[in-house]
Order: sequence, then structure tokens, then C-alpha cells
Amino acid sequence: MADASPYDPSKAHFAPEPLAHDRQLIRARYSSDGSLLAAVGVDKLIHVWESATRRHYTLPGHATWVSALVFHPKTPRLFTGDFHGAVHAWDATKEGAPPLFTIAADRDNTRALAVTPDGAHLLSGGDDAIVRIWNADSGAPMREMPGHAGPVFSVAAHPDGKHAVSGDLFGRVIQWELGSGKVVREFDAKALHTRKEDFIADVGGVRCMTFSPDGTLLACGGFSNAESNAFCPGTPLVLVFDNATGAKKTELRYGFKSDGPVNGLRFLQDGTLAGWGEHQNGPTQLVFWKLDAPEPFHKVAANSAYDLDLHPDGTRLLAPVFKALGPGGNGALRKELREKYVAPGAQLFVCNLFAAPAVQK
Amino acid sequence: MLGGLLAAGAAGLPGLMQRGIAEEMRKRGKQVCFIWLDGGISQFESWDPKPDSPFAGPFRSIPTSVPGVHVSELMPHTAKLMDRISLIRSMSTKDPNHSTGVARIQRGDPINRGVDYPFLGAAVSKLLGAPENGLPPYVSIKPGNGGFIWQEAGFLGSKFGALALGDGKPPIHIRRPDDLSAESDTARNTLRRLADARFKSGRRESEVDAWESSFDMAEKLMARKDLFDESRLRPEDVQRYGTHPLGRHLLLARHLLEAGVQFVKVTSYHWDSHGDHFNTARQMVPAIDQPFAALVSDLEASGLLKDVVVVLMSEFGRTPGINSRFGRDHWPDAWSLAITGGGVARGRIIGKTTPDGAWVAEAPCDVGDLFHTIFSALGLDSKKAKYRNQGQPLPIAHEQCKPIADLLA
Repeated sequence: MADASPYDPSKAHFAPEPLAHDRQLIRARYSSDGSLLAAVGVDKLIHVWESATRRHYTLPGHATWVSALVFHPKTPRLFTGDFHGAVHAWDATKEGAPPLFTIAADRDNTRALAVTPDGAHLLSGGDDAIVRIWNADSGAPMREMPGHAGPVFSVAAHPDGKHAVSGDLFGRVIQWELGSGKVVREFDAKALHTRKEDFIADVGGVRCMTFSPDGTLLACGGFSNAESNAFCPGTPLVLVFDNATGAKKTELRYGFKSDGPVNGLRFLQDGTLAGWGEHQNGPTQLVFWKLDAPEPFHKVAANSAYDLDLHPDGTRLLAPVFKALGPGGNGALRKELREKYVAPGAQLFVCNLFAAPAVQK
Repeated sequence: MLGGLLAAGAAGLPGLMQRGIAEEMRKRGKQVCFIWLDGGISQFESWDPKPDSPFAGPFRSIPTSVPGVHVSELMPHTAKLMDRISLIRSMSTKDPNHSTGVARIQRGDPINRGVDYPFLGAAVSKLLGAPENGLPPYVSIKPGNGGFIWQEAGFLGSKFGALALGDGKPPIHIRRPDDLSAESDTARNTLRRLADARFKSGRRESEVDAWESSFDMAEKLMARKDLFDESRLRPEDVQRYGTHPLGRHLLLARHLLEAGVQFVKVTSYHWDSHGDHFNTARQMVPAIDQPFAALVSDLEASGLLKDVVVVLMSEFGRTPGINSRFGRDHWPDAWSLAITGGGVARGRIIGKTTPDGAWVAEAPCDVGDLFHTIFSALGLDSKKAKYRNQGQPLPIAHEQCKPIADLLA
């Protein structure tokens, strides 16, 4: 951390000049030492930036959208998963290098990856509803843990290294004992799923999960009460559980209009919980909650974000954020806009968790 | 004759009809099954995947039974039948709004002459003439409420409206109460008709026509309660079509077509995926793929496909660009639909979009061209046939459009 300002999330603000990319990005993470940040999305590549120099390079990537990304907790090894089910391991420091190993793309969409704190095990979850444990050094399969009835949207390793949780489309969160593969308990996050009588699809799901640093709390993000399966407008919602008992401790909301899921959550060093998600056709906000109040104590306006990570030094957050690069919205008779019609892009926003430096006059 | 055939069906042939029966039934004339995915199915996630486009979604593109033609991996069943259907990949229409676009498309978007054109079902019923088989000619299967939708008749007059079966259920009171004798029921209806006639005398067409039509249709359906007897459904058919609403409704559509209903519209709502498009498409597109493929297969196996035009479409497609909620918005500029049966050629791919899938590159088709093609496939001369609305001759489809020659067998 270069800035001398004291940590204070109530003064959180975005760093200037976010990194930009001309395609949408879905996930963004810091490496374990913070020297690299990586992001993935719809262009199939792995994008890596050196934090100090902002130098950008790519790794050769996937055959389709990359939907999951996690760094090894002790090395610059990077794991990525895609919508065809393939998982690759990379040395993120080696520009253009091929994967260290690949877990075959013989399953549905890999939506979530996590690594245990000791770096020994890689966890994956996806549309085939099975949580899997892999050897993080070799990619060898170690265990399959069936139990979900639908797509697994998120996985998180507990700080004790012995347990993990997985959350699915239907709001079911399962706590697993990794050594045995047994279910320890379930957390009721069904409020994050909606299926009304006239829907033709299930909506919502556990879009993100994070443990408090001491492992006593589990926060699950998504949205509730979707009004349709078309626009899918709902109410962003965070459920915080006691990890030891599975009991729900609190529900957190935005307190302002935003219609999409909370896609990223991170506990900060003082127990503050930060969250960020999506909103249709307009800005939303990065929010900060104290767990004793249902609404945030601080908000920072921004566009929709799809992930959230905390720098290893605990002083900044990172998120891939939507950026329109041309005309959006509905079509029709827009031939005059044809040359300007391009795919949206992304920005990587860094949010500093301390006061902005005073502007010199 | 028809009664005997239907009795045979009820007795032991509730599934695929024997080919001979189909031959007999075909004498009833042409029919249409019009499947409407309200809100707009994405062409990228169905008929026109562009895996190398910057606008591509995450799903695979898979080969079909037509060499060189690929569709989304979300449509594996239909992919195997691609040689038995045709696609238009170059639909380009004008209206980006649901509120106006649905009616505009289902009316064929003719030149505006200040009159309400009929929806396709009403048009077919008028132009072909309703078959004399004791069944309502235009039946609409839809989620939600049923009833008689006279508004779809446009200037043809309300009797050409659609009998809507809410959630595929028969109209309520389709069964005559036990304490009402057949004689009393007949006498009651006679009195009603006399009252209607007196009310109408000296008046121009009124909503009474719609009420009369709905009563007439109710009477017809009361004689055909067997069509809604779910105990007749073969479990293997239910599994093949799917137990979700689209599956159940398309299976009912097949039964209604087999029974002789001239025009069956099946509507599915909530395809307007502005948010969470890729999570919902993964559930929704397979939900139409499976029963659509089953329907086409069954109609072909029974021989009915020769005379039943099947259309699967929406009011527009979805944007190439992906919005902030990972949704796709409305895109009438370049979209796709599927069509088969009747006089429609099979295994044809009409038109082409640009490599990125955003725009029509070859053979743009308006919905007017589609209406000309459907009418032609039903044996009508769409360029010559005319409606007469209070003496005014009106073209049955946009006169600046024409049948898609490559799509006609």
C-alpha cells in the first residue's frame, strides 16, 4: 500500500483512470501478493495487468466466455473456468504461455472456482450441479460432491481449510466437509430464488459468497422477488449466516433502487461488508454495510459490476464494471448507427478504502 | 365420416394417427400451427449462432442434419430435424416495441389504410373458409385466461376471432350441468339466438356477433370434450413434449390439429430477456426445442405435415449487444424464424446475416413476405386474393412484398 491515509471505508472512493477493455469482463481478481490483477469475460482471453506498471498482456484463453477466475493463495498460479466446462491452470506471470494443465471440457458450464487456503485443492461448481475437488498442483480429480438440484453458481473455501460452501440457482447453500465429502449443514438462502406461477424459467440464485476472515460468518448475495423471468427485475439482497449453526443473522439491502443481483461481496478488516451488483439501464452503487444495520452506511455511485475482490493488503477493492461503447437499447431503423454499433466494454474499477488525497489548489 | 374417425382416435389411437386416417383427414384442407414466443427469442441462442462474433453468447454452435448449417447447442432436438424444417435468417422488420409490434407482426404489417387487419389466424380462417367439422376454426392456446378474442378478427368481423384456451384448459362450463336437460339447453339457446337477432336488427355488426360466435364455439366444444381428456394422453408423449406449459400446450396443439382445427396458435410469454438472458435462455430455449421437434416429427410421421404449415416466431429478435444486466434488448433489424409444412420447402436456409450477426447481409425478408409465403403455402394466390371490407378490396398481404420463392416447394 503506497498511500499513507488510514483505512476508512466510510471514505471509500474510486481511484482515477480505471483500466479499460473493449469487451465485457465478468470476473476480476488480485494475485496473492497484489502484484497482478487478472480479468476474464466474453472475449475468451485471460487478461493480466501488472499492478505497478499497468502493463497488460494476455494468456491464450478459452473456447468461449470465461465465467470463473481465482488465483492460488500463495503463488501466481491462476485458474479459469468457462461456459463449456473447461478449467485451465496458468502461470499468470508468463505472457502468452499455454496452460499448465487443463481439466477437460466434458461438462456443463463451470461457473465458480475457489482454492483452499493452503493452496492444495481447487473447488469447482457449475451447471451439472456437482461440486468437485481437484488437486490444485496437477488437476487430478479428488472428489465429486453431488447434492445440488440445479446449477451451482458460487463456491467458497472456508478459512479453516477443511470446509467449503456451494450455492445454487434455487438458493440452496451446502456446507461440505472436504475430507469426507459429507454435507455438514445447509443454509437457507431460498430468498435469492424466484419462480412464480407464470414464469418459464427460474430466476436468481446465490450469485456470490464470502466468509468473514475469522470464518464465523458467511454472506450470500443475489436478488429476491424477481417480478418476471424476462427483465428479471428484483431486489438486491444479502443474507448473512452464522457459519457454525447455519442460522441467518441478518439481511442486508441497498436502500435505493437497483434491480439486479449482488454479484460480489467482500468482508473488510473491520467487519464491514462491501457489495456490488447490476442494474438495468443505469448506474447503481458500490455499498458498504455494518452488519448491525440493514442498509449501507456508505455508497459510491458506479455502473453495474459482476465481481468484487479485495486486495491482499486490505486497502482496496477491484471490480469489472459495465461500460457502454456505443449506442445501446432496442434496434429498428438504426442504419445510421450501424457503423457505431459495437459490443459494450468494461472498466476495472479500483475502490480505495481510505480518504481521497486532498486536491492541491 | 369425421365423427367416426375421431371415435377411432378416442378408442385407441390417441397418439400418432395411422397414415390412412391422416389421408382422410387431409381432405379437410390446409391447416396452420403458429407458435408465438412472445417477447422475442434470441436468434443468437437459437437459429443463427455466430460463435466468432463479438456479439456471440457463450453457448456452442452445433451441426444439424443439413450439412453446413449450425444452430445453438440449446436446440439439440431440432438440430436433428433441420432437413425437415426451413429457416429464415434474414427477417428485418420495423417495429422495436412489443405494444405495437406484436399486433403489427401478427397482422402482417400491411400498408396502413386506417383499418385493422386480421391476425394471421383470423385471416386464414376467412381466406380458406372454415372446415365443416364441428370445430372452431381458430383456437389459441395461451397461458393465463381464456375466452373469445374477437379483437384478432380485425375488419373481418368478430366471428373470426380466436377461441382462447387459457393454460390449455377447455372453456369453463364445457360440460352441461346434470340438472339441465339437452332439450332445455337447446330451447335456451334458441331463445338466446332470437334475442340476439332482435337486438341486432337495424344495427350494424356489434359485439353480439362475438358473443354469438363464442356461444356457437362453446356448443361445438361441448360436443368434443374428448379433446381435453388428459387421460387420453400417452405418458411417452407427455415426456417427449415436456411437462412444462410449452410442452403441454404443443401436445394439445397436435391433438387439435389431428382433430381438424384449422388454425392453432400456441403462445408462450416472457421471452423478453432484457435481464439475465443467458441464465434464462439456458432453460427456455430447450423448453421450445423439445416440443417443437416432437410436434414436427409427429406431424411428419402421421402424414399431416404435408398440409399443416408450422411457424415458430416472435415479434422480433434480440440485440447483438449485451446490456448491463447481461440481457439482450429488442432487435427487429436482423432476426430468424422457423417454418415448415404445407407447401413450404424443407431444409432451406433463407437469407444470411453479417458475420457478426448484427445485420442482414442477403435476402432481407419483411413480415409481409412471410405472410405472402404462408398464404402461398396454403394454396392461396397471395398477390391476387383480396379481402372485401365494406366493399373495399384490400390485399391480403403487403402489396410491396411477395412470396419467398426459395421457400416454396
